[in-house]
Amino acid sequence: MGKTILEVQDLTKRFGTLTAVDHISFSVKEGEIVGLLGPNGAGKTTTIFMLLNLITPTAGVITLFGWNYTQNREAILQWLNYSSTYVEMAPRLTVLENLLIIAKLYQVHNAHERIKEYADKFGVNDFLNEKHEDLSQGQKTRVYLCKAFLNDPKLLLLDEPTASLDPDVADLVRKEIMEARKKGMTILLTSHNMAEVEKVCDRVLFINHGRIVAEDTPEKLAQKTRLARVNLMMRDGQKRTMVFARNAGFAVSAEGRYVTVSIDERDIAYLLAGLAEQGVEYDEISIDKPTLEDYFIKMTHRGGTR
Amino acid sequence: MSWTRIEAMIQKSWQNSLRDIFRIFDIFWWPAFELFIWGLFSTYLSRTATTGINIVSLVLGGVILWTFFDRASRDISIAMIDELWSRNFVNLFSTPLSLGEYLVGVAIVASVKLIISIAFMFVLAKVLYGFQITSLGLYLIPAAFGLTIFGWSLSLIVQGCILRFGHTVEVFIWAVAVLAQPLSCVFYPLSSLPAWAQSIARWLPSTYLFENMRQNMSGAGTNVAEIVLSYGLNLLYLVIAVWFLFRSFEAAKRTGNLVKNY
Repeated sequence: MGKTILEVQDLTKRFGTLTAVDHISFSVKEGEIVGLLGPNGAGKTTTIFMLLNLITPTAGVITLFGWNYTQNREAILQWLNYSSTYVEMAPRLTVLENLLIIAKLYQVHNAHERIKEYADKFGVNDFLNEKHEDLSQGQKTRVYLCKAFLNDPKLLLLDEPTASLDPDVADLVRKEIMEARKKGMTILLTSHNMAEVEKVCDRVLFINHGRIVAEDTPEKLAQKTRLARVNLMMRDGQKRTMVFARNAGFAVSAEGRYVTVSIDERDIAYLLAGLAEQGVEYDEISIDKPTLEDYFIKMTHRGGTR
Repeated sequence: MSWTRIEAMIQKSWQNSLRDIFRIFDIFWWPAFELFIWGLFSTYLSRTATTGINIVSLVLGGVILWTFFDRASRDISIAMIDELWSRNFVNLFSTPLSLGEYLVGVAIVASVKLIISIAFMFVLAKVLYGFQITSLGLYLIPAAFGLTIFGWSLSLIVQGCILRFGHTVEVFIWAVAVLAQPLSCVFYPLSSLPAWAQSIARWLPSTYLFENMRQNMSGAGTNVAEIVLSYGLNLLYLVIAVWFLFRSFEAAKRTGNLVKNY
């Protein structure tokens, strides 16, 4: 990894009595893809808006490309871009008109070629001449992604980049994100799609109640939960399995012939030995390893304490 | 300041105006409507009045000059609430665009629309009531400019209030002209106001401009000292308004109003 592109120290934002972001510190290195995860209201979007200089922090320091906003706002924003499904473009203007205006704001010289390049990539060509207000949410998301890449940003902030996209387009977007990283682009993204975060992010910052409660690679965070799922297709002894699992204090559910036991990875051997003792027979067994989503649910439910 | 970014705002604001039937209405319909009403009223008065004053010209002159203030006080504010309503502020101000560049771009488009409106009014006034643009003489230039600046100043204050207090104060975009008109002495001399109102009216740059319009049209010339006073007040209010808007923009960034979903 290269030099530090973004450094945040003790960043805090209070709105009246509400502390939306509470003394968070992190840094992002050049070429990294970092996921900002957390439940709704955790402070992710407020953090992104502070990074964009759209919300002024109550306290703390943001350093982007070695600069701060007080002296270098224009230069910083020239190297940044942002995409979110939660903002809009001028509704009565066509997609092309909107993108041309954005390109001008970033002083992109070959605007038409750049727009064409990204319109091709994100499948926007078919509705370039449609008014923004007439687009579906999925089409709008693709337009925002086009917009986000227009100025070849050094740091790209993506708020739910694949929300409301069809799976094939979402996959294309993920590929484009990985492609951008290869070119040295640094990306900070928020997403509710944990599989996506596991796939594309080098590192994850888990934020809850305005604080960073965990920071690691997606794999290592997922391992922290140790919660695996043992799926059994029963041949005989379904009832005994349920009783045994419940008595052992495991969460268990059944659907038809299938029984799923949610269990600490370390207890799997105990479960299987116990079932053998009970004379339980099963045709198939599969074990789902803990995922980032499990970690997300665990942290969210227990209030996100480290 | 970057001309390219100002140009982007001009392009956006212009295209946006052309796509909205109500914005086009603003350019032609309301000025024409005002002209019809006041033109008919003053024609009626001139038939019944016994004085030798050309009431029609005085009233139409007032209506046309008032349009400069009226449009200027609304256009920039409407462009801003358009951005807020369409949640486009985040897109604009997450780019290197500065508030100054945004305002210059929007003000240029507002000026072009204003010129179109006024040209249309002059043609209509000439066709319907035989009003001559020359009856205002060269005085038209300082009066139009002064009234536009005053309209913009009040518009900037209203925008600052919207950024600080949200949409509840939007009504002032339209109320400013209504509130300022009686005190600006558009259709009557300052002396006809009650004493308390006169003391307020003397603080408005528009009052001196309308007083001098009447003086000018009746052939008594222009009181240069009053025009200088009017411009002095205008300059003072403009500086305060710009300062207030920039402070409000920063306040909106602190309170989160700038990125709030309306």
